[in-house]
Amino acid sequence: MDRPDFQDDIRELNLAYLMLAQQMLRSDRATALFRLGIDERFADLIESMSAAKLVRMASSQMLLPRFRFDDEQLARLMAGEGRDAASAGLHAAILAAGKAATDAR
Amino acid sequence: MKNKSVIEEADDVRRAVEMVQLGARMQMLEVETRLSREKLLRIYKEVRGASPPKGMLPFSTDWFMTWQPNVHSSLFMNLHRYFTGVGVHGLDAILKAYHLYLDHIEVGVIEPALSLTRAWTLVRFFDADLLQLAACTRCGGDFVVHAHDPVHDYVCGLCNMPSRAGSSRRKAATRKAVSPTRKLVTT
Repeated sequence: MDRPDFQDDIRELNLAYLMLAQQMLRSDRATALFRLGIDERFADLIESMSAAKLVRMASSQMLLPRFRFDDEQLARLMAGEGRDAASAGLHAAILAAGKAATDAR
Repeated sequence: MKNKSVIEEADDVRRAVEMVQLGARMQMLEVETRLSREKLLRIYKEVRGASPPKGMLPFSTDWFMTWQPNVHSSLFMNLHRYFTGVGVHGLDAILKAYHLYLDHIEVGVIEPALSLTRAWTLVRFFDADLLQLAACTRCGGDFVVHAHDPVHDYVCGLCNMPSRAGSSRRKAATRKAVSPTRKLVTT
């Protein structure tokens, strides 16, 4: 029986994530930290890694990026649930930015 | 103003251009750079292709309390708070937060109710302790309120939406961001 192992897709997504993170950090570090939700030390590490190391790091059977918002209300708002999608989106953005600010302290 | 370094001046010009591109008024440029008024006028005209609008900046905190501006201002202040928290201050924090604010507006296909000059004024109102952030007792998010307002049972405009809120959003799509519309004030 065929068992989809998603291995290739995971590796591709991991690599795309790591390369994007590196590019973002190199272009505007503070904004990248906000968007990625990672701490300074991990940011330093990714920023300094060679392409070969990123590829090796991406070859894991586990997904490297992690879901940031384990909050049901926020997830629903992000998906546009509420009276109208635009207001829900704004509400989600306010809560998410607030969480990022609190976590960064 | 005459005897400053060329590098500092180049830096000021770069910032002035960025601010004008984002829609800043002359008053903001004059405070945030050390360039002469003549030079700023030339930059403004070169970037926008028109003379800057004349007249005073709005100086009331009340605008930030009306429904739509309050939601947009609260988003901006949460972004701004992140940057000051990680050690980015002054104009840099305002510009980075404003770029992220515009990114959200673009993704949500909504009208930017908050102009850069308004955002800058907002930060100055916070610095002057005229406004503060208060946590909504329902969603836990932080929202812009008057300083010294009682906030122990505060509920934000998004948890307690006034019935007409948001209905004029699509109609507003053709209006300019610099002439925000006044909405009915609730509470």
